[in-house]
Order: sequence, then C-alpha cells, then structure tokens
Amino acid sequence: MTLQTIDNATCTFCGCVCDDIQLHHDQMRIHKAKSACVLGTAWFLNHTAERHYPDALIDGREATVDEAVEMAAALLHEADMPLVYGMSNTTCEAQKECVALADQLGGLLDSHTSL
Amino acid sequence: MGGKVTCTLGEVKNRADFIVYWGGNPAECHPRHFTKYTLMQKSRWLPRGRKDRTMVLVDIRETKSAKAADIFLQVRPGCDFELLSILRAMVRDEPVDPDAVAETGIAYDVLEDLVRRMKSCRFGCMFFGMGLSMTRGKHMNSAALLTLAAELNAFTKFVAMPMRGHGNVTGADVIMRWQTGYPFGITFNRGYPRYNPGEFSTVDVLVRGDCDAAFIIGADPGATMPQPAIDHLARIPTIVLDPHVTHTSRLARVHITTAPAGIAAPGTAYRMDEIPLPLKPALKSPYPTDEEIVRRIREAVATRPFWMPEDSPQMTTEQL
Repeated sequence: MTLQTIDNATCTFCGCVCDDIQLHHDQMRIHKAKSACVLGTAWFLNHTAERHYPDALIDGREATVDEAVEMAAALLHEADMPLVYGMSNTTCEAQKECVALADQLGGLLDSHTSL
Repeated sequence: MGGKVTCTLGEVKNRADFIVYWGGNPAECHPRHFTKYTLMQKSRWLPRGRKDRTMVLVDIRETKSAKAADIFLQVRPGCDFELLSILRAMVRDEPVDPDAVAETGIAYDVLEDLVRRMKSCRFGCMFFGMGLSMTRGKHMNSAALLTLAAELNAFTKFVAMPMRGHGNVTGADVIMRWQTGYPFGITFNRGYPRYNPGEFSTVDVLVRGDCDAAFIIGADPGATMPQPAIDHLARIPTIVLDPHVTHTSRLARVHITTAPAGIAAPGTAYRMDEIPLPLKPALKSPYPTDEEIVRRIREAVATRPFWMPEDSPQMTTEQL
C-alpha cells in the first residue's frame, strides 16, 4: 500500500499551531504524522474519514442535516437571548460566520477565552 | 488585549535570551514550544542556543517543565497577583513589605536575583498560562503580568505572550476583535456590539440562567464547565456542531456532525502569537464543514422576521 504525503501540514491541537508536519495518509485515515509531538500525533491519527456518527441528531434521534439546520434556526430565532459560544476547534472562516449569526440573532457571543 | 507588549515567536526564537513561563506547563501541554522557539534554537544573536538563554518557571508545583528550567520559583497558590505586584515594585527600586514577600512563598534574595536578571537581559519574554489567568485574580493577574512586561521596557526589551490552549482559540479572539471591536464576552442585544466580561461571559450567563438558547461550536462545555452551567444548558434548547457526539451533544436538542478542522476541513487558524496559518486537510470528510452549517443556519434565520421592530430607534444598522 502506498501512502500519499502532505508536506508542511498544520496541526491545530494546541496553540503552537505547528505548520511543519508531514502527513502520510490513504484518504481514509492518517497513518503517520512526521515531526508532530505526542499530542499532535494523537490528534491526527484519531480522526478518520469514516462515518462514525449520524449526520445529525434531533432530540437524540437521527435526522438529516436539512432538518437539523431548520430546527436550529427555529430554536435560535424563537429565543429572546440566544448564546453563540465556543469557536476554539474551528476555522476563522467558521468563526466569522458565528459572529454574523450572533449579530443576526441579537444574541450573546463568547469564546473559550472568557471561561 | 489593548496595551499588550508582545512579539512573534520568530523574534523569541532569534532574540530572547531570558524566558519566563508563568503558570504553564509547556513540556506537557505545548511539547514543541521549547525546541521550536524558546530554548533549543540557535540564531545569529544566540549562537550557542540553550547556553545563551536563561529560563525561569513560576508555578505552584514542580511540573515536568521544571526539569528544563534554570530557575524554578514555587509560588504559593493564589499569590500570583501579589508576587507580580512585588516584582513591579522591586523593578522600580521601591521598598516592599517583608511579610508580603514571605506570603508568596519565595525568598526576597531570590526575587532580587530575578529582578536583576530581568533588567539586565537583552530580550526578555514572559509566557503566561491558565495557571495564572484562570486562578484567583483571573484577568487581573494577566493585567499585572502585562504591566510588569511593559514597565521593564524602561530598562531593556521585554514582551509577554499568553500560552493559548486549544487550536484556534487565538483565531476566535482575532476574528471577534476584527468584526466587533471586542475579543469575547459580547452582546448584540441592542443591535450593536457591547462588551462586559462577567455580565456577558458564558459561565456567568449560564450559571445565572440568563440565556434561553445556546449554539455551541468547537467546544464541549458539558465536559468542562461547572455543574450549574451544564444544568442550564440541559434546560434550554442547545444546538451543538462538533466532529464527535460530545457530552454537550447528549444534553442538546440538536447535534450536527461536522468535518474536523485541519484534518478534513480547510481554512485558517491563528498561532498563539497571532500569526494566521493556512490549514492543509489530508482527508475528505463525509460531513459538511462548520463554516457551511453556520452559514446555512444564519441564512435560515434571516428568512424569518427580524427580532427588532423596524421603527425601533435603536436600529443602527441597515438590515436585509
């Protein structure tokens, strides 16, 4: 089996955000993360492209993403004081959407920093 | 973070001959920090690498990082603010109360030596972790350390930098500052952003039971927050976006599985010194990205009537 490699990949496990990792993968899972530390290696090797979880859950039951998006929008729109929180393990592009969502809702916006 | 005297890790790597870690354990939490930036690297200004650098660790217990330190100062738990204030006084040659020094658990002559080293180094850098910023005194501790770093610039070059934890938490600060003017603890409930940690910060909001819905992304408060906050999340409709079904997902009304950032989702993440870096995902996830789902929820909200009445005098921005 030949593995594909990605040079200078970026690790987002801790705040160091090392961008010199060489990843060896077979499109389903990462087999080797060269230069990564023990935490980064665990981070890369423990995520796979397999479908481990349902696409979405509503009240604990499996649902489609479309249904879950509609339900989320309805719940957030109904609320008087909705909260948008977290944003650590995600991209800046998603974070920008979160700010726009909180603005649209007239809600609260906060990150891990304030814990 | 207004007024923070800081620099990039590249400058630390090339120039810093005096490093202080305060309330952090990089050996176990940021394992490559020593080798990539603060201790082992050789440079034009530090040709002998580790031998040209001095490292001080300040913490309440002797962690694995203490082995890498030249000087380890064991501060009494909860006395960080007092110790920083004493150091600020000593830097200015002002008298300090011996009883107050004894209270911190560190001897006066050790502090005198530390102050002498701080003033006489060429480029000093203090890294502070959650052992400082999340214990008694909280943000006032961070403010005291940042002020100490700023004041040391009367004698030499000195900077400070927080040791940020989870991946892109720095990015969240930067994006919120860019979009709203504030880094966290924000409300839009008057139609424009307002900032007040304690009033609008999540733990306080949840413990008081202020909010009546929660949207959680890239975090698992169900595993990390105090129980009264978790109880409130279970009481109200909670929506979770995460690559895994988390503790929070289990008490939520809605969970949507998303692609893990940097592994199967592309985008940008900020390093702790606020340098943005592109992600290079190796895998193709069967799940959508956070960005796509948040945008779709926002668009679905936007099709419904806007929450603020159209003739409201508080309306400050043109709404679609």
